Amino acid sequence: MIGSPDLVAFTKEDEYGHPNPDPWGIPEEFSVPLHPLADFNPWAKTSYAKFTKDFILISEFSEQVGPQPLLTIPDDPKVCGTFDLNYFSLRIMSVDYQASFVGHPPGSGYPRLSFVEDSRVVLGDSKEGAFAYVHHLTLYDLEARGFVRPFCMAYVSADERKIMLQFEELSLRFSQASECLKAGNRRAFAKELQRKLRDLEYTHSVLQKEEGLQREAGPQTMYSAHAVEKANELANVEKSIYEHRDLLKQISLYHHRPRRDPHAVTCQKCMNECLSECEELLEKYAKLANPISYNNKGRNVGEERDQVDDFGGEEEVDDDGVKRRPSYTPQLIKAKSAKCFDKRLKTLQELCDETFYQATVRLLKETEKSFRGDLCYLHTRRLDKMLRRKQQVTNFLFEEELGEDDENEWGNLRPFCAVNHVVDNCTILNPPPIVLGPDPHELDSLEPPDLLDLASEISHTQELGVVESHLESSPSDQTLETQESSEETKGSLSSGKSGRSQTTRQQNQTPDPDSDLTPDRDHNTDLERESSSEEMETTAGEEEGDSGGDQTPVSLLEVVPELAGDRDSDCEGATDGACELQSDLLVPLDTACCMSQEGFLYEASPPEAVSHLDHSSNPQSCDTLVVNQEPQALLPLQDDYAVGSPCSESPTAGLELPVGSLGDTISRTSIEEGSDCTMSVSTGSERAASPLGYGRGVTLRQRKKAGQGALRFVRQYPFAMQALWCLLSGRTLVVLGSDEGRVRRLVAALALFVPGPGKCGERVQAWLSCPFTLTDLQRWKLVGLQRVASPVGSSMLYSLSRYSRYISILDADQKTLRCPPYCGQLLANIATHRTYIRRGSTYFLHLQSTLCRLAAKAFLFTFTHHLHLPVSSTEGPEVVEGRRRCFLQEQLGLGEEDSLILLYLSQLITQHYLQPATGGGAAASYFNFDYTTSVLYKI
Amino acid sequence: MSSGCPPQSPAVAKSEVVIEGECPLLAATFAYWDNILGPRVRHIWTPKGDQLMFLSDGEVTFLANHTLNGEILRSAECGAVDVKFFVLAEKGVIIVSLIFDGELKGDKNTCALSIILPQTELAFYLPLHTICVERLKHVIRRGRIWMQKGYNIISVLSLEIVPIMELLASMKTHSVPEEIDIKDTVLNDDDIGDSCHEDFLHKAISSHLQTCGCSIVVGSNPEKVNKIVRTLCLFLAPAERKCSRLCKADSSFKYDAGLFVQGLLKDSTGSFVLPFRQVLYSPYPTTHIDVDINTVKQMPPCHEHTYNQRRYMRSELTALWKTDSEDDIAPDTVIHTDETFTPDLNIFQDVMHKDTLVKSFIDEVFMLKPGLSLRSTYLAQFLLLLHRKALTLLKYIEDETQKGKKPFRSLRNLKTDLDLTVEGDLNIIMAFAEKLRAGLHSFVFGKPFFTSMQERDVLMSF
Repeated sequence: MIGSPDLVAFTKEDEYGHPNPDPWGIPEEFSVPLHPLADFNPWAKTSYAKFTKDFILISEFSEQVGPQPLLTIPDDPKVCGTFDLNYFSLRIMSVDYQASFVGHPPGSGYPRLSFVEDSRVVLGDSKEGAFAYVHHLTLYDLEARGFVRPFCMAYVSADERKIMLQFEELSLRFSQASECLKAGNRRAFAKELQRKLRDLEYTHSVLQKEEGLQREAGPQTMYSAHAVEKANELANVEKSIYEHRDLLKQISLYHHRPRRDPHAVTCQKCMNECLSECEELLEKYAKLANPISYNNKGRNVGEERDQVDDFGGEEEVDDDGVKRRPSYTPQLIKAKSAKCFDKRLKTLQELCDETFYQATVRLLKETEKSFRGDLCYLHTRRLDKMLRRKQQVTNFLFEEELGEDDENEWGNLRPFCAVNHVVDNCTILNPPPIVLGPDPHELDSLEPPDLLDLASEISHTQELGVVESHLESSPSDQTLETQESSEETKGSLSSGKSGRSQTTRQQNQTPDPDSDLTPDRDHNTDLERESSSEEMETTAGEEEGDSGGDQTPVSLLEVVPELAGDRDSDCEGATDGACELQSDLLVPLDTACCMSQEGFLYEASPPEAVSHLDHSSNPQSCDTLVVNQEPQALLPLQDDYAVGSPCSESPTAGLELPVGSLGDTISRTSIEEGSDCTMSVSTGSERAASPLGYGRGVTLRQRKKAGQGALRFVRQYPFAMQALWCLLSGRTLVVLGSDEGRVRRLVAALALFVPGPGKCGERVQAWLSCPFTLTDLQRWKLVGLQRVASPVGSSMLYSLSRYSRYISILDADQKTLRCPPYCGQLLANIATHRTYIRRGSTYFLHLQSTLCRLAAKAFLFTFTHHLHLPVSSTEGPEVVEGRRRCFLQEQLGLGEEDSLILLYLSQLITQHYLQPATGGGAAASYFNFDYTTSVLYKI
Repeated sequence: MSSGCPPQSPAVAKSEVVIEGECPLLAATFAYWDNILGPRVRHIWTPKGDQLMFLSDGEVTFLANHTLNGEILRSAECGAVDVKFFVLAEKGVIIVSLIFDGELKGDKNTCALSIILPQTELAFYLPLHTICVERLKHVIRRGRIWMQKGYNIISVLSLEIVPIMELLASMKTHSVPEEIDIKDTVLNDDDIGDSCHEDFLHKAISSHLQTCGCSIVVGSNPEKVNKIVRTLCLFLAPAERKCSRLCKADSSFKYDAGLFVQGLLKDSTGSFVLPFRQVLYSPYPTTHIDVDINTVKQMPPCHEHTYNQRRYMRSELTALWKTDSEDDIAPDTVIHTDETFTPDLNIFQDVMHKDTLVKSFIDEVFMLKPGLSLRSTYLAQFLLLLHRKALTLLKYIEDETQKGKKPFRSLRNLKTDLDLTVEGDLNIIMAFAEKLRAGLHSFVFGKPFFTSMQERDVLMSF
């Protein structure tokens, strides 16, 4: 039998990469390769260039030495390697199209400045494997031929497709850089003209004086050769003055010319500033005495000296009326400029105003950074963001924040000036893909003053006092309180049918009974009926603050009513407008598609009202909230809330109380302070050093690094799946260990699996060195706990054992996990220790897609209306519950334990959707506990 | 335009091409570098019909001459076709130039085939750039052979210049918008099967994704065709949608290679003839969807398609090389002359591989209430999943092979690790990854395929 290895030896070589020249066949140069290099290595085509990565090259067509490279970004010789920059500069400069007329046009007495639009060219050198986007521009230089200096900025890459696919973005970025350079150049040019005019005026006055002296000294009818020469020189200077005045006039007209380039990016502020400067100069030099008038014979030498002093020693008066020494002293110059090769050409820095030059370089550096990397990653990242923008209902679960700058990434970069608007628009230029959350410090500084400053201050002081007292209170007080509530919970649960239960913490803000938004009795009964008997109410939450702002329950309890009062009075007083604004933000929902069990569930009541209804009269209804509204209808509302509440921008966003429809909010400052105080109770300064980036967004780099940790965890611990299941199903996981570094690393890795971790990861406590309370468990879904051998340690262990029924404990030292058993299949794919995934970054990508799928399923479950609502009035909640379970099991193919994940995610989505004001705080509103016996897993 | 244009050379020949509708192309030119006279324009093609902007012949000549600027420095390999792309705000035009070497009057010359468009059409043109360039590149390959033989290249170039003018004109009026309203698609139906059969829709979308989003939809009812076209376009990236075309209501467009999705209307006899050569020249394999009889057929996967395409190209070029007469060229002739390659005309086959990704999506999306944004959101989640899976797959292979330095041998592990054990799912994700990294299919599946082709060839030669 003939096998394939035998056959291969007999095959013709010409089809398989080894050309066998056929004298009558087509030469290879006229054909196409059957197996191009890309078939054997798809990564290879970008690797034969002589440079290691993309870079930006600025070149000039020097009138002295021809095309020459000036600058590369990054300015590292390693980047360019052995790539011949001189040759490439020659190549890219030789395609310039801007060879428009410069110099004296026919019929014109004066030289004309050419206002040429930039041109953009993409070209390549296939032999060198180098391709470039080239942006040609001209700058003005008084000493250059035709007053112009041609430059180009090129983005050089080994990947031609990368340039063409991102042509518009590149064009936009480089247009911004070009406009910035040109704006600086016009200023510098105007200043240079100013200096030149001063020199000329000064020279003219000196020459005039000399000529006058000669004329007076010699006979009236005789002109010596010297006198004639002087007279000619004077005429030349006069002509030169007119020419330069005209140039000044022309440069000031630059702004009035019609732009022919529809893709040019202009900054109006820069234009106006430059225009006003030029006009000022023009006015100034138009006012100067006409040089011809110096011929007045009546003037004596003394007067002329004064006149000379006027030019030479002109003093500048600043705004305060203080006389300063002049910045420039005019010099005697020759009317004819030096020959081309005798003069030193100005550098690019000298040609542009320093500020503008630096801004341009900064801009180009940012451009280089933002286009860095492989095209497929850049492309996917953009698509990723575009798609995430369409699913903001679920993004909070596992996705990083979509910053404002991301809005502009998909080819919609806003026109921007690197100099004048740098403060306003800096976020646009920051490389968007990496920053996943806003910098709180920057945001704080940029934020408008809080409308409730007064209330904030008051609450701040009050709360500080309260917290201080709280600090003094013994830990046992806290545990007693929580003990009571947990006992209560236990008691109520014991009557339940099912072993599973959920505790929902409630807001202690009681709705105003007079408010229109307060739900009526009927609604309450509806909701009561809606709630399942299996889902039990707990009284623990009643005593405590809002789920989102539960820093220190006692303190908040005391502060909230006062705050509300303060705020109300504030609103009534000085900030009526603000109150109106806030009420304006409460856009009523489109209730067209809102259904209830008997008709419309939330008819005519916005989500805020629903939330209050839940918290006031029917707390357990939160468990059975049903989303019947179109997600998009709520999105603007959420955005509006973000304006009113700094929740989305604050590092402690998730710790903030929601802004309710009744206006009972707590000022941001107070909450921040509250959270700080809590930190001092629990962790002190450790929190700031958390690898999870508390107080600021978690960067993609950090997340990828965490991916590596997660992969290691999955490989190392055979019970990783159980741990991940705990996190994904909402059960708090405590990582216990004595080595802080190890615990922190584990927490950072596991944080990737925490649904709705909060904008700044506030659901994760990386390192805790004191006993925790039930409240903490509700707030944190993942806690790193220090194991210490001391009295504190024993109290911590006590708290661990006390709450063990609500939590899972991963012991990093013993390498054990205590949690309920999990035998599902949903997580098998991301938690198998037999995975062949090699790198953390690859695992992170895999994780992202798996979590994205989970979020999609949860979305489907949440928004499939018929699952959650009775088909007919005779249908009871059991039937509905059965249908939901059937959907999870039969449609989605999930087992009992896997269903818990979906249920938890769905609850989070529902709450996030119906109570947008709490934002990421939704996650804290639930914590599950399970009467199933926990099992101890060991390696 | 610049007033300083050089006087037009009387020697420049010009063809006016009658184009239906508004053609965004201003002109196409063929110029070469004369060793004595410098850059010279040999031929100009201009559309005859509605034009957005007028360029005089002198202006066209001026621009065309300048496409050869700097090419005296050219050091490309023999036979290479380099692309230059100009956006000249000063002139208000964009120029796409393909620079190549060719023999004219016994001398080796640098030549440029260019197309000129108004600058205002930049956003319209950019997504179509790759299509135009690839098609022009191939006609240049043919033209170079013609030049080598001393024949007139212009007739060969015209074979592609005119269709490109027609393509751009048709895209101007019938391209799919970047944003598609889900209400105009099948996904807005109350229930699955309302406007097309459940399995048909699943097959169509699945195959469409397996063939890298490249599909042709044929039918007798333009509304029905366009509804499916829009539905398929929902699964494309915005730039790819701009490379897709709806069908014309009254008469059919010609098939255009390189478009992602195109709707084509059957003639009165109920048939549509697909040009074999052009379908094979499409950069990706194609799915053929007939909405009249609800059939879905697909071409072989990327690596096979590319292999067939290259073999066909080589055969075509060889045939031209062996041609003895200038009259022997025909644009769409199926090449049979090469004894080593007989194209399989039955290139469209049944969809063999079932998937779970699209199946579950189709099943689930109709559970969500129509008319709201729920389905759009769910679609976005589905697409996000596919893109992320594709990137993960790419990264996995990258890690395994050290960026292609080592052969990929662990397909089984990949399938298990990334949950792609179902063949259809793997095909879909591979197709997404192929668009990100061209040549991935050949790299992963190529070796066994090429070996089997070798075996076949050897067996046939016995």
